[in-house]
Amino acid sequence: MGLLDKYSAFPERHKTILQGGHDPFNVTIDQVKSATEVVINGRDVIMAGSNNYLGLTFDPDCIEAGRQALATHGTGTTGSRIANGTYSGHQSLENNIAKMMGCASALVYPSGYQANLGVIAALAMKGDTILIDADCHACIYDGCLMSGATIVRFRHNSPEDLDRRLQNMDGEGSNKLIIVEGLYSMFGDIAPLKEFVEVKKKHGAFLYVDEAHSLGVFGDHGRGLAEQEGVSQDVDFIVGTFSKSLGSIGGFCVSNHAEFPYMKFTSRPYMFTASISPATIGTVNAAIEKIEKHPELREKLWSNAKRLHEGLQAAGLKLSAPASPIVSVEMSDEEHAIASWNRILNEGVYVNLAIPPGTPNSKSLLRSSISAAHTTAQIDQITAAFKKVLRPNPDSHIDAPQTGLVSATPE
Amino acid sequence: MVTQETDDLVFHKTCDLLKPYNKKNIALTMDTDIATELEIDSVAILDLIMEIEDIYGISIPMNLMADIRTIGNLVRAIHDLGGNK
Ligand SMILES: Cc1ncc(COP(=O)(O)O)c(C=O)c1O
Repeated sequence: MGLLDKYSAFPERHKTILQGGHDPFNVTIDQVKSATEVVINGRDVIMAGSNNYLGLTFDPDCIEAGRQALATHGTGTTGSRIANGTYSGHQSLENNIAKMMGCASALVYPSGYQANLGVIAALAMKGDTILIDADCHACIYDGCLMSGATIVRFRHNSPEDLDRRLQNMDGEGSNKLIIVEGLYSMFGDIAPLKEFVEVKKKHGAFLYVDEAHSLGVFGDHGRGLAEQEGVSQDVDFIVGTFSKSLGSIGGFCVSNHAEFPYMKFTSRPYMFTASISPATIGTVNAAIEKIEKHPELREKLWSNAKRLHEGLQAAGLKLSAPASPIVSVEMSDEEHAIASWNRILNEGVYVNLAIPPGTPNSKSLLRSSISAAHTTAQIDQITAAFKKVLRPNPDSHIDAPQTGLVSATPE
Repeated sequence: MVTQETDDLVFHKTCDLLKPYNKKNIALTMDTDIATELEIDSVAILDLIMEIEDIYGISIPMNLMADIRTIGNLVRAIHDLGGNK
């Protein structure tokens, strides 16, 4: 097989996907009017497929903090953290995130992706065993591969399966690292963290939780699912991102282990890349303060999420999980998912199209993610768009017949 | 005494699990390349492996995946991990 032969099937699949009208994986947003309103192809569209859970991307204080940092410290650091790229802002951001998470120390990375790569690869090595939830994000897989450790995948959200696998390895003597997420990005379901903590303790393993989608969403301080479940002290490493509820870009890991801060001397995605820009630091610091001082953002987020979930459920659509800020409608197949996604966009609502292999269990999904910045009227418009396009059939979820529908294909 | 499940039986059980992905109905042999000859994506292969793990009570590390190309490779891996008992 030639170097590029593996791409031979791509043009055909891309063409099929394009038949619906818009390119779901290359939508261009011409203008961003607010955290929930964008312009696509000259049309106003409600954004229901971001990860802007607290709606902070247009928060005036966050913008001002970014603006000030930009003017004071310049456009970029032009260097890595271990060379010229550590400014006082990076130090204060690491202190702030550790304090916000109630942990001893934090490491900040240029993205959540790199945080997972960097921490997993710095933690485990050949001879160690990492057990990952089957539905873990791609960057967790990549971090595991980079570490050189033995990787074992266990059934999604199944402490029993994890326990059985660990049992079979007992006496083998390798270090065990368990990795799960808080809120899962595709189905919007949450991990049974208390049960995972029990299994971890039983087998003397370490527990690592990626709270990318749960930070700012769960817990009295918005620390995530571990806080809400009362198990923060039993989680060894928590990873998060600045790119979702904090409305910026960057990632982090926090831990109470005394050895953890020294990982910065071994973690390659920390050492060999430029540090995040001053403006980014400014916006993230301001956003952390928002999470701490404005719990009402979280309340609004949840009331919006429940309203959408209830509305879609009442419409007879099959949802993949109980209410959370990620509400995914399960579609019968990829073709219907693509056609319906186009029609919903033509109704003025952008949601995410998720198809295999990007989804667990080969499911095709229309995924909405809700923001505290959505108005009740917008939530109802999102619900209405789904109802108009999808027939209320809990088994087949087939698109409504053509009558009264906006066709997605240019005729 | 544990009874050994022969590689032949493991092969047949594996073929049963692969059936849904054999849309063109090709003849499955020990040499069939799972990823290229069947219509199965990278995540579905992992899910299939998990079903095999359930049947045999073993864990097939993902690190071995790079070396498992054919049905025969998979049967061999199950054998090596003590799964055919
Ligand atoms: C669970 C999980 N971890 C990590 C990431 C990566 O985060 P970032 O976008 O900051 O790189 C994502 C985002 O897609 C995610 O869903």
